[in-house]
Amino acid sequence: MDVDTGNMTPTNLVDKVVVPGDVVLDLTKMENQTIKLGSGLCQDCDYISVMQAGKLRLSKPNKYWVESSQKRYVPSSEDTVLGIVVEHRSDNFLVDIKAPNLAFLPVLAFEGGTRRNIPKFETGTLIYARVVKANGIMNPELSCTYASGKAAEFGQLKNGYTFETSTGLARMLLSSPTCPVLEALGKKISFETAVGLNGRVWVNASSPDDVILVSNAIMRSEFLSGTQQRIMAEKLLERLEKS
Amino acid sequence: MEQRWANTSRLTINEKQFIEEALRSEIRVDGRRLYDYRRLTIKFGREDGSSEVQLGETHVMAFVTGQLVQPYRDRPNEGTLAIFTEFSPMADPSFEPGRPGEAAIELGRVIDRGLRESRAVDMESLCVVAGKSVWAIRVDLHIIDNGGNLIDAANIAALAALSTFRRPECSVGGDDSQEIIVHDPEARDPIPLTIHHFPIAVTFAFFHEGITLVIDPHYKEETVSGVRMTVTVNSNGDVCAIQKAGGEGILSGDVMRCLRIASLKASEMTTKIKEAVETYNAEVALKKVKRHPSLIAQKFTVPDVEMKEASFQKTKKLSADMENSPNQTSTSLTTTKDRDTNASIGRPLNWDPYSSSAPAIVSSSTLSELVGTSKEANEDQMMQTDEEYDPNLKEDQIASATGVSSGIHKQNSPPKSLKDAVKPKHKRKKNAERGAR
Repeated sequence: MDVDTGNMTPTNLVDKVVVPGDVVLDLTKMENQTIKLGSGLCQDCDYISVMQAGKLRLSKPNKYWVESSQKRYVPSSEDTVLGIVVEHRSDNFLVDIKAPNLAFLPVLAFEGGTRRNIPKFETGTLIYARVVKANGIMNPELSCTYASGKAAEFGQLKNGYTFETSTGLARMLLSSPTCPVLEALGKKISFETAVGLNGRVWVNASSPDDVILVSNAIMRSEFLSGTQQRIMAEKLLERLEKS
Repeated sequence: MEQRWANTSRLTINEKQFIEEALRSEIRVDGRRLYDYRRLTIKFGREDGSSEVQLGETHVMAFVTGQLVQPYRDRPNEGTLAIFTEFSPMADPSFEPGRPGEAAIELGRVIDRGLRESRAVDMESLCVVAGKSVWAIRVDLHIIDNGGNLIDAANIAALAALSTFRRPECSVGGDDSQEIIVHDPEARDPIPLTIHHFPIAVTFAFFHEGITLVIDPHYKEETVSGVRMTVTVNSNGDVCAIQKAGGEGILSGDVMRCLRIASLKASEMTTKIKEAVETYNAEVALKKVKRHPSLIAQKFTVPDVEMKEASFQKTKKLSADMENSPNQTSTSLTTTKDRDTNASIGRPLNWDPYSSSAPAIVSSSTLSELVGTSKEANEDQMMQTDEEYDPNLKEDQIASATGVSSGIHKQNSPPKSLKDAVKPKHKRKKNAERGAR
């Protein structure tokens, strides 16, 4: 197989943009290591090659994956997502999480949930939940508690405004240190947000003006650098102060 | 079934409540005011009669085509106009391929009524042979992206496409003078449609039982409101069509309020569409003008008696002074024209049907008059412009001429007296006399 083995040292391509077909690792040159492959990578005999365009990421010591941004969400377990209830079945809610299939949220998957106190969610309720099981074939399964049984912030979100974004922007909003646009807005306005890794964001603040300002600022910040985001946020805040 | 559930786009209760509440304080979710339109972009395709309109996130394309058909029996001397809509499944998860759904048919009908009932497009001029052959104009509307308010965007696209559509010229002739000859667009310029006025559709969405109304609702506002009314008016204030689609009722006072707001918006929209069409037409005309390669080098500056010997810097200076002193330059025309007919140094084209009669042209100011009069004659005359300059300078001329060429069309407007228009013709006659000798 004719493969360019120029970039075989594992750290060469990390944090760089890769496209399908790029070879990332040559297993013959690495001895006695366990490598964990995440999404976007696949083993091809002795080579690890890229299946999805995006940025290659490494989590030391040995986890590799490709991070890409789309509008559709591919569910994977332990992701926290924002879902919209579609229907109430006897033993689970059908929830839309922007995945190819509707997700199931068991009726009992709430803190202290029993058959007697099933929550009443009508169609269109916004839920912050965690993905428990997800593979390509079956409907993903959600839960509103951690594995320990605690609910923390999971459950229904009331009031506020929701909008959809790409998965890349959602990840950026959740990154630490705090995303520049959120930081800049947070200096002047008090608001709360919930970001789902599936590309849904919920924003709530005391006045509708603030909510709209924060939502539009977030929507516009996807392709801006940190400094640009701060400048944009400051301009919007100035306009709000003037009026 | 579940797959379809997974694919539809949904609104949460939070969004619905928030949009309604924000509208109580007259705030819209994207920051617009109640009666503001989203940003409108009108683009045109390569062919005549194709347009692409973006109104915010809504994206619509329109294509206009024409065909010769037999007219309807009850209207033997009128052409026909038909609107077809296609809601592409990539525009919205709920659009299915195949037969048009209810929304598609409604959109087609509203636009059709606006154009047909108000007689915006002149049908009688589309008649070629009464009772036998008329032009059937077909407008195809393709919805590419549904961001809300499809009717307004599709209407603008249809009007823009109809304004730039050109049908081939045809004449009746042949042996029995019943045969219809359709002329090639290269041979005879195709003819635009006669559009008397622009019916502009303005869509309103009502909230809070008719108390709050917004213009140009976007996708979420449309879903939340449930009551929608489209009013088609033109800039003269004529009401061409009204369509109120389902939901709650609205008061007659509200209908009148909508009509008043719509007529204001209609005049704004008409100017926008007309500007876009004119810019496009100017570009197309400019492309035609640039087709002659010799043109670029020739249409530049004025010969002066001294010019022949003098430096080229003077040429450039003269061109700058052109506008200020047309008289000065035209007086110098006579002398140089004698030499023009003989000079053929470095001239790319040697053929010359007007060699004996047409003068070399001259100042770009006089040129601008003639651009208005006859484009064809101009192009030939321009090729006559004399080439006494050093071939080295040609590049400079070309560089500055291309700069000037774009300005030519704008120079149509500076006020010139009839004198300026007449003078070159006098020169032409004098040249002919001299040539005859």
